[in-house]
Amino acid sequence: MTSRREFLVLLATSTAAIATGKAMQTSSTDVDLSKYEWSMVVQVDKCTECINKMLEKQGIKFEELSLDKQNELLRNLRPPCVKACDLANNVPRMPDNPRFDCYMIRIIAAKATEDASWRFFPLMCQECEHPACVEVCPTKASYKRPDGIVVIDLHRCIGCRYCMVACPFNARTFTFKDPLEHLEKINPEVPIRKDGVPMKCEFCRWLIDMERCEGVKNPKPVCVQVCPYNALVFGNLKDPNSEVSKIVRTSKVVRLRAGLGTEPKVFYHDL
Amino acid sequence: MVEFKKIDGRSNGYWLVCGIFLALTLWGAYAWYLALVYGHGVMGLSQRVPWGFGTAAICYTIGASAGSLIVSALSGVFGKEEFKFLSRTACVFALGTIVAAMLSIMQDIGNVENMMNVLFHYNPTSVFSWNAFLYSSYFVIGFVYLMAQFGEKRLITKALAVLAVAWAVLVHSGTGGIVGFVYSTDLYHSSLTIPMFIVSAIVSGLGLLIPMWLLTFKWTNRPLDRNLMWYLAKVMGALTILLLYCFTAEALDTAYIPGNAGAIHMALFDFHYPYAWVYWVVQVGGCLLTILILLTPWGKTDWGMGIAGFIVAIAVYGERYTLITPGLGYPKDLVPGMIFRPFWIVPYYPSWVEYAEIIGLMSMACLVYCIGLKIFQILPERGEVEEA
Repeated sequence: MTSRREFLVLLATSTAAIATGKAMQTSSTDVDLSKYEWSMVVQVDKCTECINKMLEKQGIKFEELSLDKQNELLRNLRPPCVKACDLANNVPRMPDNPRFDCYMIRIIAAKATEDASWRFFPLMCQECEHPACVEVCPTKASYKRPDGIVVIDLHRCIGCRYCMVACPFNARTFTFKDPLEHLEKINPEVPIRKDGVPMKCEFCRWLIDMERCEGVKNPKPVCVQVCPYNALVFGNLKDPNSEVSKIVRTSKVVRLRAGLGTEPKVFYHDL
Repeated sequence: MVEFKKIDGRSNGYWLVCGIFLALTLWGAYAWYLALVYGHGVMGLSQRVPWGFGTAAICYTIGASAGSLIVSALSGVFGKEEFKFLSRTACVFALGTIVAAMLSIMQDIGNVENMMNVLFHYNPTSVFSWNAFLYSSYFVIGFVYLMAQFGEKRLITKALAVLAVAWAVLVHSGTGGIVGFVYSTDLYHSSLTIPMFIVSAIVSGLGLLIPMWLLTFKWTNRPLDRNLMWYLAKVMGALTILLLYCFTAEALDTAYIPGNAGAIHMALFDFHYPYAWVYWVVQVGGCLLTILILLTPWGKTDWGMGIAGFIVAIAVYGERYTLITPGLGYPKDLVPGMIFRPFWIVPYYPSWVEYAEIIGLMSMACLVYCIGLKIFQILPERGEVEEA
């Protein structure tokens, strides 16, 4: 039986806990995310150089491969950006099972004409200004933060996969199987997903939020940090002095599937 | 005045039919259990084709329900009093199939425990979000409409019939919008999808109701006006022709864009994949066969009308399949104007789990109908119009 004293202590503790929780919640939302507009520039020349070197080391001539072999090679190609992303974001890779293999970054090869040489670049969530996934999500589990990053609230998601169907870039994958069984290593900073939910690149928001809170001036996602060719440039588009702003302002950059009007925040330079 | 009565429901035949439907429902429930325990990996889906038979089942069951409710309201809305004796059974079947539709959504989503979030976090830009409210209100309207029919309140029944038809059209338009409004996939975005959904809803509704009525009246030894059935079969045939017209218009509309050439070729003419087979054999072939049956003298017989109805109901399911899966199986044009890799077509073959789920759901709707016959006064003593 709980005494009156115990009851009062419990009541005071609960009130304090709720108040602290509320205060913490308020402090985290107090950060004005709207002064950021995270964006990325992919320098395709440098990415192509990186992939060509990788293939050269393995003695593979991409253009001489059959279509099936090219597809298979690209599916399993893991340059430093992909490898680091998989490990940092708890991405359950299943190379033996392409049907269910999850990814956040894929390597795409493209060329303008048959006789042109292949150019390689990473394709991740394009963090659109008008994201189709957010538009169609029936529970607002997919939403756009004030800093432009499109995130998935796994506590709200019902796993209907409408976002995957609507995404113009196939940037989302679904955990058809329990991801825990397919992780090489677990990063405790990132939520471990259950089966039955989608996943996508969120510009390593856990990392850039953490770095930003620690006062790091230019926080960067892991793919940008590990890129040996500095091919990926990440920064705040709202800061006119950021490198990303300068490149977008002064160079010829393109956005994928621009005609759809979703206005991706990932720009491709020299594609 | 049509006199409705409960059926006795004590014969061995009745229990046998109920038993078969119950067994199939349990089979479907077991398949669902497997999907819940082992994840959606037990289905034929993949990262590229994340919607398949389950999503087709949602569209189909909602369509069949909407179609049945529209047929049920024929007497109330259009003053076709000669169809009044069919309205209660059609309404019960519509309610059974909308329950099946809601269950098929539960089967299809990957995170069932969060399902109620659809009601708590409404997203006005999501067609799926609209449907959460449309489906639940549709069930309520259908149920109240059935109750009004039991009460024999003429004016209220008429008003509710009008509302039910409007709501059925709205509900199925919303379902069509889920696919038709997606602009990122070459084969999805089409203004024809919504009206086509309505036509196919009525066709599949009639396709299921006609054999069901023929069997119900035959097995309960009640007379049934064959001329009325033939009239409904003719309506079904006419709408099937309209459906074929819509298929053609939609295919030409998509094919006219040069950028869609690869996708439309795969969906319609590449027989290395299941899509073209389903399109020509199940969808178009099923519709043509239905029309052909109805054009022959045999089409006027019970067997002819029943089989035609059954075939067209399957053809509409094929239509749902080809509406959803080929557009996902063909790669999206990630880098417009360039040749790109990886580039491969993903075939989609449903697993037995998906077949079991849809068969289980439809059996459940039929079981609801059979039980409804026993506990409610929904079946008329005579299935024909009495001369005044």
